[in-house]
Amino acid sequence: MESPMERSPNDFQPVAPEYFTVKLIGWALNTGLYLLVALAPLVLRLFGVQTPLWLVIAPPLAVLLIALPALRLLRRRVRALGYLEREEDLVVRSGVMWRKQLVIPYGRMQYVEVTSGPLERKYGLCKLTLNTASGSATAVIPGLAEHTGRDLRERLSAAGEAKML
Amino acid sequence: MTEQWQRVHPASPFVRGWVAIVGLAYIYWQNTNDLTLAERLSGERLRWTVLIGAGALLVVLVFYALSWYFTRYRITGTHVYVNSGMVFRSQKQARIDRVQGIEVAQPLVARLLGLAELHFDVADGSQSMLRLSFLRKADAQRLRALILGRAQAARNGQAPLDGQEADSVPDTAASAAQAPDPDVLMARVPHGRLLASLFLRMPTIIGVLSALALGIMTLSGVGGMAAGLIPALLGFGGWFYKELNNSWNFSAAATDTGLRVSRGLADTRQQSIPAGRVQSIQVSSPALWRLLGWYRVEVNALGVGSQEEAQNLLVLPVGDFDAVARVMGILLPDLGVERQREVLFTAINSGGEDHGFTLSPHRAKPLSPGAWKNQGFLATDTTVISRYGWLGRITAFTAHNRVQGIMLRQGPLERRRQLAGLRIYSAGGTVTGYIQQVDAQIAGKFLEEQSRRIAGR
Repeated sequence: MESPMERSPNDFQPVAPEYFTVKLIGWALNTGLYLLVALAPLVLRLFGVQTPLWLVIAPPLAVLLIALPALRLLRRRVRALGYLEREEDLVVRSGVMWRKQLVIPYGRMQYVEVTSGPLERKYGLCKLTLNTASGSATAVIPGLAEHTGRDLRERLSAAGEAKML
Repeated sequence: MTEQWQRVHPASPFVRGWVAIVGLAYIYWQNTNDLTLAERLSGERLRWTVLIGAGALLVVLVFYALSWYFTRYRITGTHVYVNSGMVFRSQKQARIDRVQGIEVAQPLVARLLGLAELHFDVADGSQSMLRLSFLRKADAQRLRALILGRAQAARNGQAPLDGQEADSVPDTAASAAQAPDPDVLMARVPHGRLLASLFLRMPTIIGVLSALALGIMTLSGVGGMAAGLIPALLGFGGWFYKELNNSWNFSAAATDTGLRVSRGLADTRQQSIPAGRVQSIQVSSPALWRLLGWYRVEVNALGVGSQEEAQNLLVLPVGDFDAVARVMGILLPDLGVERQREVLFTAINSGGEDHGFTLSPHRAKPLSPGAWKNQGFLATDTTVISRYGWLGRITAFTAHNRVQGIMLRQGPLERRRQLAGLRIYSAGGTVTGYIQQVDAQIAGKFLEEQSRRIAGR
């Protein structure tokens, strides 16, 4: 075992593979938007407005320099997401460079929320949020298949009630 | 005597409504700005001024009177009722057996008039806090004692209605007949020490330095440059006043349920902090305080004080180790170790690996060159203690059964050195336990053990 972060990765339930598509579309929309803004000087130049060459080249380059590495990490980030239902608590894992594992005992759970945005809905996905009395100790599992999310919520609520005082 | 409906003090509307009178005066001033004093006081004009002024004042006073007339309160054996409002009437009530604590607050104007208001902390109460404003200070204190006494009697008389309540209602072993305030003074902060402590903190030092710089610059004629320092000075002044106002005349006394603190310069306030409501405690010691052995204690507490202030609850603005030990003894009586005092001292001062503390290994040095020696944690039978900081020290104590969640974190640099950090979250404030850069294996083991400890409370 290299480090406890590697807590037998197979134990963790991965999120739905479709979530990568959702993230990809989100990435494309975002990058496209920034690129559009960054290309404004080029448009000006094409319309004959005096614009220095570096101002035409630098912004789109900067956008690509930030966006492309993010794209490379995207699949790994999705793959790094996972959750583990244990006897007494829920463990949620995330992050590639900065890895995190959040442990929330069922007994501390206040309520569980399942939400989904339009893009997620299109791919049959949802996001589960588990809230405790502390704002910082909030577990978020994105990219769950809808039925998985629903079932998980039911299980978590049941476990929460059972463990409550 | 208090079973009937009663009215609050007649001056009450004025405490919040004095702005209206000032506003009137201001409007008058604005509109007659160009007149001299003699013109103002001459015949015809004077008569009109007095007439209109008196009319406006009368309207304001009528509103005050109506507001006062329609504000009534009643205290029965089981409930506190407060009715107010003339057009939009509001009727609020609180069950006495759910009253956790009562804060006696005195905003500045109320204080000048010798009045005080009561804020009720009600368990599982609605978001809007029940306030009773204003009463004469002595009456307010008498009423507070009376209601707290009844609350205790009600709680002792019958078992809590539902099991869930048992967590938040602290055990009241004291008998109902006992006087509600057998307080023992635990800590008091003299004015001199408070001022000294504030001047030894970074924001003040920076503020004083920039004030000096400003003075020198102005004297040597580079006023333009100096203007840039003014915002910093204003910020410092605001911070300083807030600290002073929060901590002035501070005293903490032990009650049979926890701690009662009273403090304030312009606005004085008293708060009850039942020990059962405390989620997590932070003892901090800024760099220069450490030379004098001074500490500051803040807590995360649920349902104490108004929720809108995102600040932690201050239970000791500045105090020596003995004061810290006394306050901690009330808020967290069982540290889960045998030699509590020594462990507490080690915990807040970084005394190496004494008493079983686990520290950052030597390979953490490049990541935090100053602090690595001080970073450490100890999990006792009841509590997690975690400490970090380089010149200053910040230590957090969280009882296992108050932990809401734990997060294991590892960044790329930490991974290369087989280190990992942990955060221990609790409710009711911003106090968080930070365990920084300990051995990754130990961190993983701690995560496992700690989640077991939380679950098997």
